[in-house]
Amino acid sequence: MTTKKYLESLFCPGSVAVVGATESPGKLGGIVLTNLLGVKGRLYPVNPAYREVMGLRAYASIREIPGAVDLSIIIRPAAEVPELLRQHAGKARFALIVSAGFAEVGEAALQEELVKAGRESGVRLVGPNCLGIYNPRHRLDTMFLPHACLKRPGKGNVAIVSQSGAIMICLLETIGRSGTGVSKVFNYGNAADIDAPEVYDYLAEDAETSVVVSYLESIGDGRKFIGAARRLADKKRLIVLRAGKGAGGQAAAFSHTGRLAGRYEVFHSILREYGIMEAPDYDSLMDAAKALSFQSISTGKRLCIITNGGGSGVLASDECMKHGLELVPLPEKSSCELRSVFPPFYAIKNPIDLTGQVRTDDYRVALRAVRDHYDGFVVIALTGVAGVTVGLADILKEFRAESGKPVAVHIAQGGIAPRLCGLLEKAKIPVYPSPERAVRGMAVLLGNGGQKHE
Amino acid sequence: MDIRQKVRQFLSSTSGGKLIFEHESKQFLRELGAGAPKGVFVPRGDPLPSAVDELRYPLVAKVASSRLSSKSDAGGIKLNISNREELLRAVAGLMQIEHAEGVLAEEMVPPGFEVIVGGALDADFGPIVMYGLGGIFVEVFQDISFALAPVDEKQALWLINETKGKQILRGVRGRPPLDVNALARIIGIVSQLITTGFFEEIDLNPVVLFPDKAVVLDAKIKIR
Repeated sequence: MTTKKYLESLFCPGSVAVVGATESPGKLGGIVLTNLLGVKGRLYPVNPAYREVMGLRAYASIREIPGAVDLSIIIRPAAEVPELLRQHAGKARFALIVSAGFAEVGEAALQEELVKAGRESGVRLVGPNCLGIYNPRHRLDTMFLPHACLKRPGKGNVAIVSQSGAIMICLLETIGRSGTGVSKVFNYGNAADIDAPEVYDYLAEDAETSVVVSYLESIGDGRKFIGAARRLADKKRLIVLRAGKGAGGQAAAFSHTGRLAGRYEVFHSILREYGIMEAPDYDSLMDAAKALSFQSISTGKRLCIITNGGGSGVLASDECMKHGLELVPLPEKSSCELRSVFPPFYAIKNPIDLTGQVRTDDYRVALRAVRDHYDGFVVIALTGVAGVTVGLADILKEFRAESGKPVAVHIAQGGIAPRLCGLLEKAKIPVYPSPERAVRGMAVLLGNGGQKHE
Repeated sequence: MDIRQKVRQFLSSTSGGKLIFEHESKQFLRELGAGAPKGVFVPRGDPLPSAVDELRYPLVAKVASSRLSSKSDAGGIKLNISNREELLRAVAGLMQIEHAEGVLAEEMVPPGFEVIVGGALDADFGPIVMYGLGGIFVEVFQDISFALAPVDEKQALWLINETKGKQILRGVRGRPPLDVNALARIIGIVSQLITTGFFEEIDLNPVVLFPDKAVVLDAKIKIR
């Protein structure tokens, strides 16, 4: 069976068991069951102490559930889990172990026992020590976080594959706020069995996913990782953030190569070798994810900046250099055209500075004049001046539609800014809180995804 | 003969311990197509072999020992040897060094641009190959890059271009371009050797680049 088909019953299970489900809304077993009440598929609470939980019939053990279970979520103390898992033999395909208390706290032997129990029972494992899966289209939500604490983002085209639960929560919050939605979200904790590469292969074939954001601390078998990452990056946009950059290395080695083996530098080089996009930090990861989820990658490197603030334009220009974007001068024809319609104090060069006396429609005029000569556009609008109105959203939306070229925006800060940001992101135009970040967002869209390959 | 067979044959002929003698490593690298200076090994207690007379002065003499981690720290390198008398004196002096097992007399290579080529086994990725600027630059600028081994010549050129030093290799300010293809060949050889699984570490440091060749000046290879 292909990975795609096999993991389909993990991400879209027809039947879900919650081992350790309880009525109590304050306990993990209660929160997880509450969050799963809407799941598309049968739901079975498992707890020998109850006959019924939240209006659902409860089962004393996984074995008593009629029929097969695609996904069993286990929320019981770590020491009990291997034995519980053995009861899953012939019954469940996947077990998602929420419980902590394994290798992450030095209990390596218990984790080994768990892996052995899984293998012997023919059950594939997610976790342990994880939040698991969120798939809004299937209303599958295994996260033990009440909705009051974490608002879930809606359906979208961004998948998250995160080793850390904490970072996954942050990513969900950022994505929810940015107006993007998610396709499949996967947190795999200790990676005792199912690891990032297997999920990459699944996502490569997943029609709902076009961007994959992945946070990694360890990578396990590096060749397997690179193989899957390449296959995924061939079909979708994959952005990786690697933490633990100071770890690894062998002090005892006699050569520079030997001393650096196992360190981040090796990972970094190899990602570049295979053209896999790497974010240097959390903000860059999110900025890139937003740009890629809204717009598609384009060739070319020529960028035009249109601003109503000189300083912001200069900062944006500086950032262009770092990413190999070319701020080529305006063609003579465009300059003449703009000079004839704009006041003499507008700066008709690249960046085009419409100054504090800008009127919203000037953006339309400027964009039209340069449209055919550039590959992408960064638009900066400081809303502190009277001339900038929410009408800018429509102008940029129309421009996107007629040009088909990528546009990234920096809006600062007061007045109509929040409304304008909302309108723009609804129109799938990414908005950033600084000129540099807008350029970085553009850099992942232009010229081979911002990678400076030669 | 494939590379694994060549390595097996080579390993059966080496005389030292885990750390292969420099002259044996260089001889093997030469057979594989890497450039290395012409040299003669003088075992401890032996007179100067007649082959020494075929070397062109000036020479360099280096102590050989599988127990010394740094030849230069032990005072084990004598440069600018201009005739036979000086060579005899240098060899006699170097044999006095503790754990000396012999001396390698080599034709001296004029100064050139120094780079490092290395191979190692990474915990995550297995065999990897490294390239970077050598000499003092490796410490200060850390201008290095890695790739999964083995690499072909095209990938080796990519690796070279990953470093900032690529500009120097292309020739800056009227300096001639250096022999990047010979360097790529050496990177390819190291990447193949580390991939065989017989070695733990390979350190060619430095490899000296000239407009028409690349020469392995020092080679440390550790058997796994």
